[in-house]
Amino acid sequence: MSAVRPSETEPFDPYGPERALAYSPEDATFALFNDYATGRPVLRHGIRIPVPTEVRATWQRSRTPELTRSAGPMETIEGYGIFTFPYGPVSMGVPESGKFEVRTYGERILSLEPVTGFKSRRILTSIAGQPISDGALRIERLAGNFSAAHAAAYLAAAESAAGIEVPEGELWVRALAQELQRIYNHVHVLARLAEAASQNVGAAQTHALAEEMLRIQGSIFGHRWLFGALLPGGPRRHLDAADRRDLGRRLNLHSEQFERLWELFLGSRTFIDRIQATCPVRREEALRWGAVGPTLRACGVAWDDRLRVPVTPYNDLFLELSQESAGDALARMLVRAREVQSSYLLLEQMLDRWPRDPGRLLSPAPPVAPGRGLARVESPSGDLVYDVTASDGRVTRIGMRAASQANIPLFARGLRNGVFTDFHFAWESFGLVFAEIDA
Amino acid sequence: MPTWIGQAARNGIVTSRYPAEPATDAEVPETARPPIPLRGDAALHDGVARCPVGAISEEELDRGKCIRCARCRPAGFEFRGPVEASTGRRAELRVGSAAPAGPGLVEALPPLVGFPRSLHVFLVDAGSCNACNLEVLALANPLYDSQRLGIFFTSSPRHADVLLVVGIPTPEMAPAVLRAYEALPAPKAVIAAGVCPISGGAFAGTPGLLAGLEELVPVDVFVPGCPPAPVEILDAILRVHGRARTAGGD
Ligand code: SF4
Ligand code: SF4
Repeated sequence: MSAVRPSETEPFDPYGPERALAYSPEDATFALFNDYATGRPVLRHGIRIPVPTEVRATWQRSRTPELTRSAGPMETIEGYGIFTFPYGPVSMGVPESGKFEVRTYGERILSLEPVTGFKSRRILTSIAGQPISDGALRIERLAGNFSAAHAAAYLAAAESAAGIEVPEGELWVRALAQELQRIYNHVHVLARLAEAASQNVGAAQTHALAEEMLRIQGSIFGHRWLFGALLPGGPRRHLDAADRRDLGRRLNLHSEQFERLWELFLGSRTFIDRIQATCPVRREEALRWGAVGPTLRACGVAWDDRLRVPVTPYNDLFLELSQESAGDALARMLVRAREVQSSYLLLEQMLDRWPRDPGRLLSPAPPVAPGRGLARVESPSGDLVYDVTASDGRVTRIGMRAASQANIPLFARGLRNGVFTDFHFAWESFGLVFAEIDA
Repeated sequence: MPTWIGQAARNGIVTSRYPAEPATDAEVPETARPPIPLRGDAALHDGVARCPVGAISEEELDRGKCIRCARCRPAGFEFRGPVEASTGRRAELRVGSAAPAGPGLVEALPPLVGFPRSLHVFLVDAGSCNACNLEVLALANPLYDSQRLGIFFTSSPRHADVLLVVGIPTPEMAPAVLRAYEALPAPKAVIAAGVCPISGGAFAGTPGLLAGLEELVPVDVFVPGCPPAPVEILDAILRVHGRARTAGGD
C-alpha cells in the first residue's frame, strides 16, 4: 500500500462507468472536490470522511486498494499537561448526537477530531434494491432540515439514471422548495448564533421568523419540513395562480421582517465582535480540504452550484453570488444573510415567471451514462452530490456526498487555537448537520 | 434609530394559546395531523396498497408506524385528527377504521406522580434526521414559549425529570441513551417523540438498527408523527404531568 499525500488529486470522470464516488476499502479516504479552476469535480485522497461500514461493503470496489488512511487534517499533539477531552455524543449543546475528541491543556483547543457515525441509520445501503419512490421517503428523512435539497438531488440522479423525464413545473416546485428551505436554514443559523451570543431579544425574534418559514412551508406543501413535497416524476402539489399570490404575499412580509432584524444585528457591536475572527478558514485551506457552500464563499471562492450546474429553472433566473473574504464566522454569516436576500429574489422571479407549460418534459440532470445519474445541488450548507444507478425503476447503487461531510474538517481546523467558548459560534456558523454526515 | 425593543413591540409575536385552546392549522398543518381512516370508504383498499410502511390495513391504522406521507390520502383517509394523539400504551396508537378517532379516544394519562410544578426535560438524539430535534427546540421559541407552562430544557440528565428521545436508536447510540436514562434521578419519565423511536418509522426493518426505543428503556409516552409538531410534543410533556388536553375535546 502506498501512502497518498492529502494534496494529491485525480480527475473525476463522471463518464467512466465505475469510477464515480468510489469508496476506498479503508475508512473513506477520498473526497469529491470541485476543481475551482476548471469547474470539474476531482477526487482527492487522504481525507477522512466517515462512511458507514455497510456502504463500503456494498459498494463495488472499482478502485484498487492502494489508498491508505492518513491522519487527515488532524494530527495528535503531545506535550506536558495536554489531555484528550471527549465531548459528546450527548449533552454537548449541539442538539444532535456526535462526538469530538479535543486535545487541550485546559482552555485552549489544540486540536479537535470529529468522531462521527453515531447516528448512522444505514440509509444508503437500505435503499439499494428499493423502488425509486420508496427511496425518496428515506432520503427526505436523511437530514430533515435539508430535505428539499436531498430529495431534489436524489430524485434528479435517480430519474436521470432511469431515463425518466420530469415535467418542467415539477422542477420549478423543487427549486422553490429548496429556496424556501435555504431561507429557513440561514435564518435558523442566525438565530442560533444570536442565542449563543446571548442576544436574547434578537434570538427570539429570529427564531420566530424561522418558525414562520416552517409555517409557510406547512401551508403550501402540507408539511412543515417538506416531507412528501417532492415526488419522483411529478409533484404532489401543483401551485396554481392563487397559491402563488398567497405565497408571494407571505414571502414579502417575511423578507421585510428579515431586513429589519438583519439591520439590527449589523448594528449590534456585541454580536458582530463575538463572531468576527471566530473559527477562521483560510482560502488555501478551504480549497485544499474541499470546503463547500457558504463556508467556501466566505473565504473568497466564487462557487455556487446554482450558477455552475445548468439545470432548470436556475439557468433562467438571475442570481447574484454572495462572497466574502475574511473566512471567519462573521463572513459566513454575511454570506448567508445575502443568500437569504437573493433567495427571496429568486422566489419572486419564480412566482412571476412560472412556466406557462408546466407539463413540458425535461431531463432533470445532465446525462452521465445509461442507467446512471449524477446530480449536484447547492444545499443550504453547500454542494450536495448524489450518484445513483438504477434499473427497472429500482435503485441498484447509491452514493452521496453531503455538504457537512465536506465542511467538517474545516470546522475542526478552524477551531484549532480557539477557546472552548468559541465552539458553539463555530459550530452554528458552518451549518453542520450530523444527520447528513452519518446518514 | 431602530432598536430591539422597538422591533419586538412592533412585531407583535403571538404566542400559541395551546393547550388553553386547540391547536390551529398554522401550528399543525394538514398532513402533519394524525390521519383518520374513514369508515366504510370504498377507496380504503387502494390507500392500504399505497402505504409504504405498512401502517394501515383495512381494519386499522397504526399511528406508531405512520410517517404521515399522505400517499394514502386520496383514498379513505383524512388528515384532520386531533393533535393529542400521544398515549402511554403502544397499543393505543392503533386505531380501528371502524371507530374513527373522536372525543375521548385517547384518555389523558394519570399524572406520573412525584414531579414538582415545573418539569425539566433532557433531549437525547438516538439517531434522528434532525427535524424532530428542531421541533423540540422550537418549543423554546416565543411562538410556543414552553417556559410559560413550566417546561425547561436542561443540558444535563442529572437535573432532568423527563428523558425525551428522538430518532431511531442506532447501535452506536444505544449505550449513550442507556447512560442518559440511568443518570436521570427518580421519578423519571421517558417520552418517545416521533415514529422513529416508536417503530423505526421510515427506517423500520433496516438491518442493524433497533426496532424501537422500548428495546432499550421503558417508555411512558409515545408521540406519533414524523416529525410531531411542537404542540404535539408539548401535549406529550404535559401528559406526563397530567395537564394535557383530552383528545378531540375542544
Ligand atoms: S400517511 Fe403514509 S404512512 Fe401513514 S397510513 Fe398513509 S400511506 Fe401509510
Ligand atoms: S420521526 Fe421522522 S422527523 Fe422524526 S427523526 Fe424520525 S424521520 Fe425524522
